[in-house]
Amino acid sequence: MIEDSNVRGCEHTRSWRERRARRGTWVGLVCVVALLLPAAPALGQYERPVDAAPAAEDIGEDYAVPVVQVHPPRAAWRELVDVIVLGGALGLAAWIVHWRRSRRALVALTIGCIAYFGFHRQGCVCPIGAIQNVTVALVDSQYAISYFAVAIFFLPLVLAVLFGRVFCAGVCPLGAIQELVLLHPLRVPRRTDRLLGLLKWVYLVAAIGFAARTAVDRDFIICRFDPFVGFFRFAGPLHMLLIGGGLLLVGVFIGRPYCRYFCPYGAILSLLSRVSWRRVTITPDKELDCGLCAEACPYGAIKDLRAERSTCLACARCFDYCPRHRIRTTGGRAPEAAVSPGKES
Amino acid sequence: MSDKPTRREILGHAVRGATLVGLGGAATYLLTKSGKEGTWKLNPEACVNSRLGAVGVDVCERCATSCVLALSAVRAVNDHDKCGRCYICPAYFDVQSAITPEGLPSQKLCPRDAIDRKPIGDIDPDDPANNYYEYTIDERLCNGCGRCVMACKEPAGLTSIRLEVRHDLCLDCNRCAIAMDCPDDAYDRSPVS
Repeated sequence: MIEDSNVRGCEHTRSWRERRARRGTWVGLVCVVALLLPAAPALGQYERPVDAAPAAEDIGEDYAVPVVQVHPPRAAWRELVDVIVLGGALGLAAWIVHWRRSRRALVALTIGCIAYFGFHRQGCVCPIGAIQNVTVALVDSQYAISYFAVAIFFLPLVLAVLFGRVFCAGVCPLGAIQELVLLHPLRVPRRTDRLLGLLKWVYLVAAIGFAARTAVDRDFIICRFDPFVGFFRFAGPLHMLLIGGGLLLVGVFIGRPYCRYFCPYGAILSLLSRVSWRRVTITPDKELDCGLCAEACPYGAIKDLRAERSTCLACARCFDYCPRHRIRTTGGRAPEAAVSPGKES
Repeated sequence: MSDKPTRREILGHAVRGATLVGLGGAATYLLTKSGKEGTWKLNPEACVNSRLGAVGVDVCERCATSCVLALSAVRAVNDHDKCGRCYICPAYFDVQSAITPEGLPSQKLCPRDAIDRKPIGDIDPDDPANNYYEYTIDERLCNGCGRCVMACKEPAGLTSIRLEVRHDLCLDCNRCAIAMDCPDDAYDRSPVS
């Protein structure tokens, strides 16, 4: 394609030269035509009337040449605000999940994070994509990773070691949008779930592999194949919008397909959250094995009546199915959680 | 949870501590290599519009169409220091269109009508052709399609209009989608000066 346009370029250069040679004739002709036939159908061969920009004095009336607007890059303080908002949102998610124990509050945070990280920042405060920047920084000594990218990459990881996958809970706009469309959860058989879960490791390895190539061949596949960012920007390649739409449709029934099966950052988080200091406890105080929660988790993260650290996305859905939680939060109203939300698929 | 820490819990703390130290070390190492990342810039010299130049050739609109944003972050900018302030500006008017009784082309070149034209300086009300005109591009309307840039090239124009990446709009993608499509590799990511 590039060669093609070069060829075109040369042809045009030649044709202007020819045109320039005939310029004198043309100027005369155009002038005559313009004088004699003011209502001619078109200007035809346009000739520039001036050879240089007029000076301000020639223009007169104290004309001041306007300054050409310059738009500086985004100010560093605004990037810092993004990092602070990310840290704040992660902290808030941890507090909501571990102390406040409120699904409603988490949904509010989810919506807030979609608004800020999704629509306002257009999906570009993204630890998932930062995997690639970190990789490039490690392999390419010429590349200066931005301070903010380092912060954005490590903040959720540190929080995962302390509080589990609170980034997934509702801070990540990609997870958040899927969390909100999950209206009719079906359970994925455990084996299938585990098997599909391996895909995210493949994706992680591929993303690192493509980012670690030389500067010319380097590719940022996480950004290119981000399925939902097009919705936040109201624009994107058609195939990605279709894939994103498809994932959201599937996501109405299967909880967060992208997070669980494809997200490369989810792979890292699932590993680090295994050693997390706090894990989501379904019951508010004493752990009772009544078993009502067993079917509650749309992500298959409840194993032996406990939330499993590595797969629990801290979505707080299970709280509403725990009778003890209900007693504590609704002041003893009879639990309605006996209705099982999960249906065997 | 029992009151006395079990061996399992102590091990847990140790692993957790080690992980945090590891993460901290990795982050510190990366911060020593950090800097201010460059921003995407368009080199007007390399831009295909400069070389194709003449009016009437196929328009390269990739700056408008390839950007990941709904309205591209690229804008046309009129450098007033170079602008000839012509009565009939080939970037403002479609000089191929029919001429009106006033002697001006009937069509504008910009498909989004983003260029503003106003007479400036000593205005001769009787002879509009004898006046200078200032052409300003409305950044809210311009989508960087580059038609005006191509029209304002030698020999028709004075090369006063160029395309520019607007850094307040640009998302600074890791790999610029326009850069990938640019037929002339006019984009590069240069360090912030």
